[in-house]
Amino acid sequence: MSASYILKRIALIFYTLFIVSILVFGITQILPADAAVMMLGENATDEALEALRQQMGLNDPIWAQYLHWATGVVQGDFGTSLRTGQPVGPALFSALGTSLTLAVLALAVMLVLAIPMGILAAVRRGRAADLVVGFVSYIGVSLPEFVTATLAVVVVADIWGLLPPAGYVPLAEDFWGGLQRLILPVSVASIMMIAHVSRMVRSELVDVMHTDYIRAARLKGLTPRRVLIRHGLRNALLPTITIVALDVGYLLGGIIVVEEIFSIPGIGRALMSAIQSRDLPVIQAGVMIMAATYSIVNFAADLMYAWLDKRIQYD
Amino acid sequence: MPFNRRAFLGTSVAVAALATVLPRVAMAQATPEAGGVLRVAIDQAVSVIHPLLTRVNPEYMTAELLYSGLTRLGRDMQAEPDLATEWQANDDLTVWTFKLRPGVTFHDGAACTAADVVATFQAILNPDFASPARNNVGPIDTIEAVDDTTVRFTLKTAYADFPVALSYNNARIIQASVVEGSFESLRTSANGTGPFKLVSYEPDRLVVVEKNPDFYDPARPYLDRVELHVFPDLGAQVSSLLAGDIDMIATLGPNDFMRLDGQDGIDVLRSASGQFCNVNFGTDIAPFNDARVRRALALTIDRDAMVDFMTEGLGTKGNDTPLNGSYPFFKQIPQREQNIAEAKKLLAEAGLADGFEAELIASDRPAIRTQLAVALREMAKEAGITINVTTMPHATYLDQVWKKGAFYVGFYNMQPTPDGIMKLLFTSDAAWNETRWNNTAFDALIAQARSTIDPAKRTELYTEAQTLMNDEVPAIIPAFFDVLGAKRAWMQGYDIHPRASVFRLDFAWLDAAAPTKG
Repeated sequence: MSASYILKRIALIFYTLFIVSILVFGITQILPADAAVMMLGENATDEALEALRQQMGLNDPIWAQYLHWATGVVQGDFGTSLRTGQPVGPALFSALGTSLTLAVLALAVMLVLAIPMGILAAVRRGRAADLVVGFVSYIGVSLPEFVTATLAVVVVADIWGLLPPAGYVPLAEDFWGGLQRLILPVSVASIMMIAHVSRMVRSELVDVMHTDYIRAARLKGLTPRRVLIRHGLRNALLPTITIVALDVGYLLGGIIVVEEIFSIPGIGRALMSAIQSRDLPVIQAGVMIMAATYSIVNFAADLMYAWLDKRIQYD
Repeated sequence: MPFNRRAFLGTSVAVAALATVLPRVAMAQATPEAGGVLRVAIDQAVSVIHPLLTRVNPEYMTAELLYSGLTRLGRDMQAEPDLATEWQANDDLTVWTFKLRPGVTFHDGAACTAADVVATFQAILNPDFASPARNNVGPIDTIEAVDDTTVRFTLKTAYADFPVALSYNNARIIQASVVEGSFESLRTSANGTGPFKLVSYEPDRLVVVEKNPDFYDPARPYLDRVELHVFPDLGAQVSSLLAGDIDMIATLGPNDFMRLDGQDGIDVLRSASGQFCNVNFGTDIAPFNDARVRRALALTIDRDAMVDFMTEGLGTKGNDTPLNGSYPFFKQIPQREQNIAEAKKLLAEAGLADGFEAELIASDRPAIRTQLAVALREMAKEAGITINVTTMPHATYLDQVWKKGAFYVGFYNMQPTPDGIMKLLFTSDAAWNETRWNNTAFDALIAQARSTIDPAKRTELYTEAQTLMNDEVPAIIPAFFDVLGAKRAWMQGYDIHPRASVFRLDFAWLDAAAPTKG
């Protein structure tokens, strides 16, 4: 993997973000809502609205507005929220931090559980363990989060009374209280990914274990454990990385539901309320941040590929 | 006994005085205990904490904790003293003088004087600041400081409800220096004279306020802290209340209300109210420019069924006027009931014997708008009227339909006075003249009522206005919703307010069973 490849990829990320910025800016311009009315409310006089439009540059041609906005974004200034009148950047980055806490924990839980589950199912193919893992992952794949989340709240919080049903406390503020409130949302967010990944690991591993080089390894007299881990798993994990990278995208967008139900002020919820109130600067910034995160994660996954499988050469 | 102005003013001051005494009378039954943290669940973000610019109930709640007005609204819809201790009007109700409570300070220690009150109202009336209070505090012409503790309002027209109008959610006193300097600074910080001080503020998660030790009433507030937790998911609010994670839910829907009703340790709260969903007609657009057509549609509605369907029975029937028993000066006029034959007859008279087809628009928030639209569609079928229901996102609705459309569903909070709701929606000079009904006889009745002191005479005028409206039907108002909430039994001194946007949490307290009492 050459340095020029990495530079090319990074350039590509910026190119993607540029295209996304044009798209999102264009789409938000089409949305039927007047930013000045959203900001001043229904009681504003026409003169006040006009003054604000002038001040915000809403009467300028679209390309001028785009240029103005993009210049700000490049300098880290995402504008002012129409809803709260506060700068968009700090609020969204703090929401992103909250979402990342949730996402990283969910990913960790998923990896710790899904890979061993997949291995177990592959090794014990057709036996009880395989069936149980298969059943669990079927449930995970087929139940949407709004069902699992609601079920989790009703059973664990309402009926058993084990955990607080909702709310978010930053870990820095109250570590144990915060952690308690994260258990349910993290479990719900990881269930579907556990299902994806454990099934992927299982099927890949089953395929790999039937290849010639595994037979060769066995014939060489390696221990079954060494064959499984060094030769089997290493190859079976490659496609799994793709799935995990895709799931990170799902996590950033898809935990909107989890964030709504558990009242977690993450970036998904910030986007959701921005869309509902037509808070254009927040929508634009939120989509940009999500697109950037997604591009970076995919880039990281590709790098990981090359690291795991020396045959893959990028140039 | 003949009713005169002096007796009226005497009564209102007496009522006001009584209101301040009442909480102390209540103490005889259960003495409020100081201390504890009250945790409140709210269903929308607190996007704005600027007291002159707040727009939704959780924001009103925040502003009410941090700021005071001249008057405040009791559960009986009467004005009570807040920063003003007493008030008087001249004989024709055009000049009002308010006496301010002496020695009140802002949270930063500065004295709150008549100059601050004058500056605040000048800001409210300044169109550049776009405060919603501008349309709601009455026909103020000028305001002046007579001395440090006296302000005088001169009105453009007589206005008997003025002290009540001044209790409006956005009419909260801020510092003169802030008005002149950094008006916008109150979007992120707070400096009021209210019972609590701002500790922290995250719009989408949490607002924390703590007791103001220098509040003008040394006994209140009882709570050390109040936390407003944002719960976008209504089910999570209910679960958290059941778990004892929060102490109170500010606003509840009928289904959650029934789920909580009868649960151990929970009190459900309910009050009849003037809150309603309506069907607005653009009365200048065919076929709705013919009052017979509007009345025909109103006659297709089975109102008992509508109350059941829209409110799960937690509401009352409407009579196509925005007034009901929750308002002062109300008298029931004959209730309109379903009458399909009469509806068909009216349609025939209007030249629409074969019925007609129309598109009814309902925004998606709250969902009850769509419920009303669908129910009306089914009921109107019987009279040969074909209604096509279109739903759309609320922001799109506000942008494209609201105040412009010919036929759409509206949703409104109760206002403190009959005058308030009429001037908001139905007079020719209404702030949101959605129906463009522009009925001069109706305008004259409302104008006359606002300059009349005698309650019996006012009741008569509003009854006449109701009759006129019921006859012309600028909008169909099929049902009123009760306002609903819930609290843990350990929270005391709180009941839900019919106006839904008033909370009075400085009277609330926690008894020894509360988990945060330590």
